[in-house]
Amino acid sequence: MITQMHLKGLMFDPYNNAYIVVLRDEDGHEMLPIWVGKAEAGAISMALENVAPPRPMTHDLMKSILDAYDAKVISVVITDLNENTYFAKIHLMYQDSEYTVDARPSDAIALALRCSAPVFAKESVLNKQSSEELEQWLENLKPEDFGKLDS
Amino acid sequence: MSQPNPASQPRLIEYAVDRVLDETNTDTKILVLARRDGHPDSFPIWIGAAEGHAIKLALDTTLTPRPMSHDLIKGFMEHLNVSVRRIVIADVKNSTYYATIYLENNGVERTVDARPSDAVSLALRTRAPLYVTEDVLARRNTSNLESWLAKQDVRTSSKQQEVRES
Repeated sequence: MITQMHLKGLMFDPYNNAYIVVLRDEDGHEMLPIWVGKAEAGAISMALENVAPPRPMTHDLMKSILDAYDAKVISVVITDLNENTYFAKIHLMYQDSEYTVDARPSDAIALALRCSAPVFAKESVLNKQSSEELEQWLENLKPEDFGKLDS
Repeated sequence: MSQPNPASQPRLIEYAVDRVLDETNTDTKILVLARRDGHPDSFPIWIGAAEGHAIKLALDTTLTPRPMSHDLIKGFMEHLNVSVRRIVIADVKNSTYYATIYLENNGVERTVDARPSDAVSLALRTRAPLYVTEDVLARRNTSNLESWLAKQDVRTSSKQQEVRES
């Protein structure tokens, strides 16, 4: 089983000096935080805010290469989250065949946003995610932490 | 690897990645390219810290537990049977270099515009040759590198600091 997730926000985690990408399902029942590095957060934030950089950033290039050969990103699935190793699959359609490519969730999400492709999470990932840590986070959150990324 | 036709294409000089230098005062790195024909000319390009890190990983053939962004691009190309034929630093405008990535799939060539840092990262991972056009070589401004290197010579010999990111 997979659940479609929507990007809810991107916030800075000063304790780990990292960023958290927050995904939420349609009903708001499931919340999935993904810790990413600064560069990865930048790549996601640019797509979220629809910022057109003067030069193509790495994920824009990724999309250009796929576009050059008419390969389409159909969907992205977050398949596993361990302590330091996160897994995602990018599903591509190319010449009537489907291909699945292994990726980090941060790359997968940055690309999905640029290709307007849906992002899903495996149910096992959602179940595995202990909500404790996130709840602690949300308690400490100030509204401005979500900033303009909150939809 | 077929050479581009000199009649229709600008003359190309082949380069290799020499090293990535740290610029400690700012959040940038300097990618230094060296000529493959032994000519003692180096070609510096100022790039972002994350971009420099991606190039260093490829230069040092560091294995990361998960595919980094350029490994993912390489992964896509392997699935689509697309190869990188060459990358060319083909233009410079207002001190910004422009690279073109030449791709090929079943005889169909496509070109994609890229930042030199992404193009070089990809070239290292796909072992594609890297060129700079003579026109760009003639039009670049090296004076700032010469002075920068003169100041930094002592320090660059000491161990280089790694950038940390996920």
